[in-house]
Amino acid sequence: MGTMSASSADKDGKKMEMKRLLPLKVGSYQSDGKDESYDRNTTFRYMDGAAELYRSYAFKLLMVRRYLKAGQPPIIVEVFDMGSSEDAFGVFSYEAQDEEGGVGQGSDYGGGLLRVWKGKYFFNVYAEQEAPSIKQDLLEMGKAIAKSIKIEGHKPKLMNDLPKEGLIERSIRYFHLSHHLNHHYFLSHENILRLGAQTNAVLASYSSPTEGKIFLLLIQYSTQKLAKEALQSFVKAYMPDSSSGVIKTENGRWAVSRVHQKYLIVSFDAPLQERGEALIQATIKNLEERK
Amino acid sequence: MRKKSKVITRRDFLRGTVYTAFATSMGLGLPNEKEVRAEEKVKVVLIRDENVIGQQGRIDPDILQNMLDQGVSSLVEEENPLQAWKKLIKPTDIVGIKSNAWNPLPTPKELEAAIEKRVLEVGVPKKNISIDDRGVLDNKVFLSSTALINARPLRTHHWAGIGGCIKNYIMFTSTPWLYHSDACSPLASIWNKPVVKGKTRLNILSLIRTQFYGRGAHFFDRRYVSDYKGLLIGKDPVALDAIGARLLQLQRVAHFGEDRPLDTTPNHIFVADEKYKLGVSDLRRIEVVKLGWMEGALI
Repeated sequence: MGTMSASSADKDGKKMEMKRLLPLKVGSYQSDGKDESYDRNTTFRYMDGAAELYRSYAFKLLMVRRYLKAGQPPIIVEVFDMGSSEDAFGVFSYEAQDEEGGVGQGSDYGGGLLRVWKGKYFFNVYAEQEAPSIKQDLLEMGKAIAKSIKIEGHKPKLMNDLPKEGLIERSIRYFHLSHHLNHHYFLSHENILRLGAQTNAVLASYSSPTEGKIFLLLIQYSTQKLAKEALQSFVKAYMPDSSSGVIKTENGRWAVSRVHQKYLIVSFDAPLQERGEALIQATIKNLEERK
Repeated sequence: MRKKSKVITRRDFLRGTVYTAFATSMGLGLPNEKEVRAEEKVKVVLIRDENVIGQQGRIDPDILQNMLDQGVSSLVEEENPLQAWKKLIKPTDIVGIKSNAWNPLPTPKELEAAIEKRVLEVGVPKKNISIDDRGVLDNKVFLSSTALINARPLRTHHWAGIGGCIKNYIMFTSTPWLYHSDACSPLASIWNKPVVKGKTRLNILSLIRTQFYGRGAHFFDRRYVSDYKGLLIGKDPVALDAIGARLLQLQRVAHFGEDRPLDTTPNHIFVADEKYKLGVSDLRRIEVVKLGWMEGALI
């Protein structure tokens, strides 16, 4: 073919952009010069079924670079262009669980793996094998890459609408698909909330010694009509014995669901109906104030 | 008229009205015992040996061979291991040993060798035996096989919930991504393809090392790999996977002090039973015969 298509040129442009993000040398580690890149369709070749996690967000391109240093195991860096900072945060939030690594706009380190998000990028840094001093090397590598990402991003706006009192910050998950909701809070094997690529959702936990753990789910649909239909679907499947969108579930706790404009808000496992309702009303108040 | 399937929700688990392998990954535990259907139980054999992994982390091939022999003998109720294998494989068979090459946790080479050794001793010529994973669709032995032995490690899998016996046949299709929908629920349909249908004589889940939780780009984290030092052996791949999913759940509870749900519900196990009739997923209909060292066995 004599001419390059627009999408091919775009992809090549993104590749070059990502190559520039990755330093050729960090400390005594040197790139092995064999970068690999994968798009949404080819990424299965690199990571098998795990690719679905990234594909469930707006993932564009993955760049993999291997760094070598004498006497140390190679370090692998995987940088994902997630298309938006919201989705970069989303894929980070999917399994944020370990100690904050102090890298980028958010990171966690555990088990020899550093996970970071900054701007529209999410990246993993890990060593091929364990080594005593590797943690420091991984953190330095992560910081060098984060430094080269000049443009910061913002977290999903929906997060601002979560009530702050009792909120466990590290528990916030941002996602689009029901599969992800089920990972953090199994609801149903069917997509009863009608989640999809066009919906944005946050799930967060609230905790206090007296109340135990309460979950709050906030979903933004494209239209109010879709939000109402989703509520109907949810109530029909999850609480067919209730017409009010409120039910005391079999564990003795309360599920409360409400639609506000194009948002569906559900609290799960509240010790009292009033507590679940209060969380929802506080969310609605935040949504109103943001307008 | 097609019967409309019921939507299963969290509340079904809270009520204890769903009690198949489907329950094992939810972080909700198994419900109370209820009446078991009247059908016969499916037999699987769990065998463990605390010395199968040496101090250097290497697998002892002799101990593993012995575990395999004991397990197969128990399964087919034949004391002599070679006679036991002869109940599974004929000298005229063309035998494909379906392995798993996933780099972080592959089927142990020692297990592949132990299986091949017994198949050879049954009288199958070397040229009629092959061990393969990703190349099975280009492998003449597999393409003309009359018998398959399915052997792979047990691990969590991001999109299928667990990687077990059922999923190990994904390489028998050239379009694996077509089976990724609904958390890989159609996986068992691969077992109806002519290249494999009715050929599987034995399934072995290697529990020598299990990965009970996943994390990171490749869904592999050394912290969540356990030296369980066992093999789970049976003829029913669904039963093995159901027990496997339960074991991984119990390992998560033991490790974390609480259950953590899998990324994905391994409902392909449930679907393999209910829709494709490949085997039994109801844990109460599976008899686990335990042999050898059982300290910390969890199941």
